[in-house]
Amino acid sequence: MSPDFLNFIETVLNGLMTGVMYALVALGFVLIFKASGIFNFAQGVMALFAALTLVGLQTGQMPFSHLINATFGTDIHHWGPGLPTILAILMTMAVMIVLAFTIEKVVLKHLVNQEPIILFMATIGLAYFLEGFGDLMWGADVKPLDVGLPTGGSFWLEDVTTSWATAGSEYYGMYIDTLDVSAAIIAIILVIALTIFSQYTATGRALRAVADDHQAALSVGISLRSIWVIVWSISGFVALVAGIMWGAKSGVQFSLSLIALKALPVLILGGFTSIPGAIVGGLIIGVGEKLAEAYIGPLVGGAVENWFAYMVALAFLLFRPQGLYGEKIIERI
Amino acid sequence: MLYRETGDFSSTYAADQQTFPIRSERYLFWTAMAFAFLVVPFLVNDYWEKSVLVPLLVWSMAALGLNILTGYCGQVSLGTGGFMAVGAYACYKLMTAFPEMNMFIVVVLSGGVTAFVGMLFGLPSLRIKGFYLAVATLAAQFFLVWIFNKVPWFYNNSASGQITAPERTIFGVAVTGASAPPWATYLFCLTLVFVFAWVARNLTRGQLGRSWMAIRDMDIAAEIIGVQPLKAKISAFAVSSFYIGVAGALYFSVWLGAAEPTEAFGIDKSFLVLFMVIIGGLGSILGSFLGAAFLTLMPVLLKNVMVGGMSWPTDLAAHIEIMLVGGLIVFFLIVEPHGLAQLWRLLKEKLRLWPFPY
Amino acid sequence: MNQHINPGSMRADDGIEKGGMLLHVDNISLSFGGVKAISDISFDIKKGEVRAIIGPNGAGKTSMLNVINGFYHPQEGTITFRGEKRRRMRPHRAAKQGIARTFQNIALFKGMSTLDNIMTGRMTLMHSNILAQALWVGPARNEELAHREAVERIIDFLEIEHIRKTPVGRLPYGLQKRVELGRALAADPALLLLDEPMAGMNLEEKEDMSRFVMDVNQQFGTTIALIEHDMGVVMDLSDRVVVLDYGQKIGDGTPDEVRNNQKVIDAYLGVAHD
Ligand SMILES: Nc1ncnc2c1ncn2[C@@H]1O[C@H](COP(=O)(O)OP(=O)(O)O)[C@@H](O)[C@H]1O
Ligand SMILES: [Mg+2]
Repeated sequence: MSPDFLNFIETVLNGLMTGVMYALVALGFVLIFKASGIFNFAQGVMALFAALTLVGLQTGQMPFSHLINATFGTDIHHWGPGLPTILAILMTMAVMIVLAFTIEKVVLKHLVNQEPIILFMATIGLAYFLEGFGDLMWGADVKPLDVGLPTGGSFWLEDVTTSWATAGSEYYGMYIDTLDVSAAIIAIILVIALTIFSQYTATGRALRAVADDHQAALSVGISLRSIWVIVWSISGFVALVAGIMWGAKSGVQFSLSLIALKALPVLILGGFTSIPGAIVGGLIIGVGEKLAEAYIGPLVGGAVENWFAYMVALAFLLFRPQGLYGEKIIERI
Repeated sequence: MLYRETGDFSSTYAADQQTFPIRSERYLFWTAMAFAFLVVPFLVNDYWEKSVLVPLLVWSMAALGLNILTGYCGQVSLGTGGFMAVGAYACYKLMTAFPEMNMFIVVVLSGGVTAFVGMLFGLPSLRIKGFYLAVATLAAQFFLVWIFNKVPWFYNNSASGQITAPERTIFGVAVTGASAPPWATYLFCLTLVFVFAWVARNLTRGQLGRSWMAIRDMDIAAEIIGVQPLKAKISAFAVSSFYIGVAGALYFSVWLGAAEPTEAFGIDKSFLVLFMVIIGGLGSILGSFLGAAFLTLMPVLLKNVMVGGMSWPTDLAAHIEIMLVGGLIVFFLIVEPHGLAQLWRLLKEKLRLWPFPY
Repeated sequence: MNQHINPGSMRADDGIEKGGMLLHVDNISLSFGGVKAISDISFDIKKGEVRAIIGPNGAGKTSMLNVINGFYHPQEGTITFRGEKRRRMRPHRAAKQGIARTFQNIALFKGMSTLDNIMTGRMTLMHSNILAQALWVGPARNEELAHREAVERIIDFLEIEHIRKTPVGRLPYGLQKRVELGRALAADPALLLLDEPMAGMNLEEKEDMSRFVMDVNQQFGTTIALIEHDMGVVMDLSDRVVVLDYGQKIGDGTPDEVRNNQKVIDAYLGVAHD
């Protein structure tokens, strides 16, 4: 195979890996949207918050130490050596559940019958609040996150692919980050688990009932509010997974919350209510972005990734205002 | 059947359509304006100009613009930062290409260029609605900032990639550049904001404003009773972008003096202006000012209290500020979706009846 | 009287005599996916008459109005309004030609006052440019005041002076329906389409609304197409009635003719009706 073609394959593979990450965040969006019609802009910040909490617990950081020190003139930073990873992850999950509960109690309960766009803006406010809160609690510096997943390029893949290249060409193999590979595997497991959960458990069926018909679900005696808490907890869990993957890859930092912005075009492609849509959309955006960067980027000075996804979404919407899997909007009066 | 005499119509209805139908309110307004135009210029110093007054005026202008689009016409945009960048770069190109041009004209032309770009990016709104549209406007935000980074023509090939405002004068007094006196930059911005706030008021109380609100409240019914969606939406995008472009031009040339696109015109600016409009009051001219004032002054105040008063580090104050802003957005959306403007209206009603409720 | 509500109206003056044909609906068929909402329906509306359209729920009445004012585009058939034949048209064009309407489910602009809602009804009659509006100078200002005057007459006519400045979202249902009629009247319509204007009203409100509809027709000579379920109202108000059922036309004629039409009787007996 010619090196050009192998490079192309590498770009696509890397795009797929990035796409999986996007899909992971988009998945959190879809879950909440399906069950409550809320477009949760805070999903990205929830991932950041989860990752921050995880690192904090893992390293034994003192919450609010910055604030405490500033107020009392103390110099506290840690309360101990930190928790083992598994325990830290479980504790973080507990924190995300508490968070879901609080959000329902303080925010959602009061916005039940508002228009979607108002709810959307409320979640933007929520995102800001949570960002400030996370920073206040754990500090805003970039933190490395290590949960024991392998990182770095795969030498095996490099060797194998080098041997594929046409003899004599200067090709040194593909670079695929093993972390991306584990992320992809975990994402796939997560999707399967969620599907099983929603198909085969009572709670899952209740969730789908709500998604299909709020009125019907209520009449069966499912409390809408507990459903919301459950859904937000589940997307808190998805956020935690996404936070771990992104955090392990590029450190836990503010830019993590920006993946929420990238998840928006993913959702536009995939539709807001379709789990397969979120995944396909994520993959399309991931691959498209990487290909654009590799092949259009050099012609126009690079950084095409910054806007490519949004332009694709925009162009796409012009032809299908309801998204790839969304239902056709029929207007009536 | 007519309950008023025919001859009396125009005077009655004209009076009815005044901006401030209540006399005391009218006095209050003109007193405040007299103070702003005649007294403040003598008091203003560098700190007040750069940290409070000019920011307040610039953000008011931007909030007016976004409020026209989002508050009056119901089209949510997250592209405000990008459109401010268009205004800023148009301003820079005009300033450097026509050094003799009056700054008023430069700024207004910058608004015009932005209006045109805004119309282009507004076209999708004819098919795309709600938050689908909000996401589509992100394309404008990121694409515009990118293009100002990548095309050297926009920054006249400067090595740093920055744009820097040269000194420009009005009637011999500098309003841009390092040596511009605070009173002059303040008055320059104030005049523009005053005039365009009045224009915004006129547009929103007339037929165009009603067509925007009709589209906002129920677009299908609006079209059936004769509103042309194309005309209403595109005009809203154009007018809104004009204001945001003027704001961007002032932001760069008068306030910052130099700018670099990613930093100065990022998505956080889009959110900031959106928050101003929500907190101030969607669909209210006064609300645009209240929202801008609130979000400009609150950080200054917080900083003075927490950093100056309690000597906390600045980053801590910044975290608390973000938290507060986010919390307030949620608070207003829940408790008073019509924002500060509505609170003001309620307060007025209370005062008018005081001390006799009923 | 006409002059008072409709200052300077050009629309009344279309050269069609009272009793001449204002609107022809010819062989209209409309379906949504597989659902046939209207099949091959033809009827006409004469200038100056009240033409009732009746039929059970889902018969296709609202869809018919939507076709007439261009919101739905029928797969087959044509609409001829004032001698002008068309198939596809944007709703705002129909509004410009003088077709105004009210809606089965109130479609007012909730964030605006009664006055502003009715002022939007005059959308197609106001022409001052954006610059004049921005500066609030002569032409724009005068135009605004002249139309305000016309709108005030409608407000008086409908007896809603007291809620002039109230945001319509806060009004009770009956008054909202009245404001919606006002908005349609403000357009100075040549043809007024009313979709169940009395649905959900109590007896008193119904009587008021019937009176308004009758006055509009008799005093201003406005042609009206009226969808209504209350047979008493239909028999009282309308000159001619067209009956739809499952998208088909099953009757057409004077109220008496329709009442004695066997197909109509069957259709109505077959349906539980309120
Ligand atoms: N926008 C639409 N999309 C799909 N079906 C529609 C639409 N509008 C009307 N219909 C269908 O057309 C039929 C007639 O509806 P409609 O005209 O509202 O009846 P009516 O007003 O006589 O009660 C119904 O079966 C309705 O479901
Ligand atoms: Mg109907």
